[in-house]
Amino acid sequence: MDTYDAAGSSEHPLLGRLIKLGLFLLVQGVAVMLIGSIALLVSFASAWSATTEQAGLLQPGDARSGTLLLKQEDGYAEAIRLGIDVDITVSGPTLRARVTQVFRNPTRDWVEATYVYPLATGGAVDTLKMVVGDRVIVGDIKERQQARVIYEEARRTGRKAALTEQERPNIFTNSVANIGPGETVLVQIEYQEPVHQSGNEYSLRLPLVVGPRYNPAPIVQSVDFRRDGSGWGATNSDPVPDRDRISPPVLDPAKNAPVNPTSITVRLKAGFALGEVKSHHHRVKIENPDSTTRIVTLADGAVPADRDFELTWKPAAEKAPSVGLFREHVGDADYLLAFVTPPSAEQATQKPLPREVVFVIDNSGSMGGTSMEQAKASLLYALGRLQPNDRFNVIRFDDTMDVLFSTSVPADPPHLGEALGFVNGLQARGGTEMVPAMRAALTDRLGDTNMVRQVVFLTDGAIGNEQQLFETITAMRGRSRVFMVGIGSAPNTHLMTRAAELGRGAFTHIGSVEQVEERMRSLFAKLENPAVTGLTAKFSEAKADVTPAIIPDVYRDEPLVLAARLDKLAGSLEIKGRVGDRPWSLTLPLQGAAEGKGLSKLWARRKIGDAEVARTMRELTPEDADKAILALALDHQIVTRFTSLVAVDKTPSRPEGEPLKLSELPINLPAGWDFAKVFGERPHAPAQLRERRADARDQPAARRPTPAAPDAIRLPKTATPAGLKMIAGLILIVLALILFVFNRRRPLLTDAA
Amino acid sequence: MPRLVPPLVLAIVGLILFGDGAYIHAKAWLAQILLARAFERSVAAGEPVKPWSWADTWPVARIEVKRIGARAIVLAGTSGQSLAFGPGHLDETVDAGERGVAVYAAHRDTHFRFLRNVIIGDVIEITRRDGRLFRYRADASSVVRFDNSEIVAATPDVELVLTTCWPFDAMVSGPERYILHATLIHPGG
Repeated sequence: MDTYDAAGSSEHPLLGRLIKLGLFLLVQGVAVMLIGSIALLVSFASAWSATTEQAGLLQPGDARSGTLLLKQEDGYAEAIRLGIDVDITVSGPTLRARVTQVFRNPTRDWVEATYVYPLATGGAVDTLKMVVGDRVIVGDIKERQQARVIYEEARRTGRKAALTEQERPNIFTNSVANIGPGETVLVQIEYQEPVHQSGNEYSLRLPLVVGPRYNPAPIVQSVDFRRDGSGWGATNSDPVPDRDRISPPVLDPAKNAPVNPTSITVRLKAGFALGEVKSHHHRVKIENPDSTTRIVTLADGAVPADRDFELTWKPAAEKAPSVGLFREHVGDADYLLAFVTPPSAEQATQKPLPREVVFVIDNSGSMGGTSMEQAKASLLYALGRLQPNDRFNVIRFDDTMDVLFSTSVPADPPHLGEALGFVNGLQARGGTEMVPAMRAALTDRLGDTNMVRQVVFLTDGAIGNEQQLFETITAMRGRSRVFMVGIGSAPNTHLMTRAAELGRGAFTHIGSVEQVEERMRSLFAKLENPAVTGLTAKFSEAKADVTPAIIPDVYRDEPLVLAARLDKLAGSLEIKGRVGDRPWSLTLPLQGAAEGKGLSKLWARRKIGDAEVARTMRELTPEDADKAILALALDHQIVTRFTSLVAVDKTPSRPEGEPLKLSELPINLPAGWDFAKVFGERPHAPAQLRERRADARDQPAARRPTPAAPDAIRLPKTATPAGLKMIAGLILIVLALILFVFNRRRPLLTDAA
Repeated sequence: MPRLVPPLVLAIVGLILFGDGAYIHAKAWLAQILLARAFERSVAAGEPVKPWSWADTWPVARIEVKRIGARAIVLAGTSGQSLAFGPGHLDETVDAGERGVAVYAAHRDTHFRFLRNVIIGDVIEITRRDGRLFRYRADASSVVRFDNSEIVAATPDVELVLTTCWPFDAMVSGPERYILHATLIHPGG
């Protein structure tokens, strides 16, 4: 071939090449045109029908941006997805919340999912529903062990089941068994909760994430001797025996987009004309259908479950009603809920007693980020409020502890200066050993009974051994009063309320630096003004079971909240006490009570709280307290330590032999927390970490440019290089043709010459 | 003769490029014909039928927009190879007709070229492999970044998203995606 070609070309150089080139071009051209034209015809056919109407289809404003996603590469795309919808209806003094968790299984396996989530501390969970397809399965309340057995049985036999268990009064676990490949199961729980009131302001708090807890290592062992008196026993070594149950996996926000998108709707029917309604940590849209009603929804749609939702509302009138009385008839009993705000003592008649204040500040790793800033700002504000004749001390703790002064010192400029320097220098790191710090704070070295002794404890409460702290307060409180300041985006509200209750003090929440001054001012109003003391409640005719059994002192602007179970709704309720040094009393005729909802559940929930307190204070033996709690829970159908809700589908869905995988749903790190400070440094931290999702109001600069809606889907690449290639190809062909024609002319010209 | 070499090389490269581009369209077109057959057999047989013996994917649904006469067979998964043959169903999203968001993606210059002509209010019909038909109404469109899709998978409603690259007429692929959102029209609703 080569030789023939060579011979041919030597004979007819130009012609031979031209023929070859022409043939090649022809064959290629025909082939390409054939494929190309068919493809073009098909694919561009619809383009010809394109009209201008699509201009109206897309406007710049439509192009919303901002979403975050789970990384597909690291396997999370293959995990169970969770969406949460919370619907709260506030009716006067109580609220009912419906929390819907949408569990979706995108994997090819049968999955059992568990999700650890927080609920409001005072909430009574009484309803569980599981929705599978169009079927709704309503759960029953059962003793915890029994519910577990029912659930495990359903899980084994391939039937769908949901189980709601309480881990702490504010931490619950939902388990859902046998979610099929590609299936979605809805789990809905409902709870009843009283509305919180402070002065002129009403509020609700919806926690959305359980902050990772510090669980102290078992160092000191206690011993449980056997009851038979044989002298043999087992060491009970772990301060947090259920640490596994309250420690779900936490996603590192630098490596993962937020998960668990949550939408929230609040239907606020206050029962009085509303003034300001405000969400403190989320942007919301507020509709007002009428003067007493508001409908609050999140302005940004779904948000990641990474901080508490806090809503406050005020009456349009100058002063909130100082008395509220509500009743409900359930079974053969009447339930009563009373709110009474005692008058505040006039300042002038009271000479404030000098105080000894011990400030305790938590600088553990969980406080890292914005929480530490809030805690410092709060403490600096508090130091500024001290009077010259007050005495004070400052304690800081993580897994170590420093007491600034050996005993409390006068609040004079040199000492205050030293304290300011100490506080400013604090850095968040390490574990959270809260018990020794509380013990040190409660140690009354001065013993000066002419002074009021107060402990102000600033923490996020991220510990798993709450019970140890409660026992410390009970054992050591003496004449000290404990005021809790809950710091950060997701504080442990159960710890705050119970510690303040046991410590006969009050508590407040600070979720952002903006709230520091307002909240600390109102806390100091409580610290500085005498409480209403010696309170008693008496019903004139009805036989009543009142909770709290021993009414605590009430601080300034706080209402006294009483719940009671009555045999008949008759006569009146008389409340007596002392405001400062003057006696005070109030009589409420029961006929004036308005119809309320779910009051029996609230009464039962508070009775259960009372029993827990009595157990901690050793007023009841653990066995008696537990028995009382169980009876109340079963009577009133609410979830407690000893009772769970369980729902089981009758028909099996997972074929026998198909394996079931367990998926513990991950949670977000609460907003503003520092992952590294809680969980230690990452082994291979990338040089350029993405910004942490911090509270926008605290650190605007730390916020990502695009706001986040979570759990979104990464879209694949959907453009082919076809158009580019075809156009480039065409250009090259045209270029070649031009060159060819140009080349062909030149030899002709030279021949002619 | 050496002066003929440059135009020859140019022509060959040009033809190869053009052919390559045309091949993408040809493949997309041919595959849809094979897929349509396989899909009909799938519906009839009630189990996945592969469109050709060496295929690593199978048809899962048919998208149809009657107003503009557009239809396409959707494949399982959205790997680069399967997208060459037809729109892909994002594995991590639900099937059409289920509670949640079903997301289908396809190339803007082949199978989802018709997406630019779909307007809000159009009825999008999805036939699943099991033969069940679901009607959705297009109710929103937006342009997002591929990693900020705003699609929340866990929703209590039955929703559909068709997505392709944006802008429609761009020559190179970018980070922006066009999203057409539709919600199930309830029977009788």
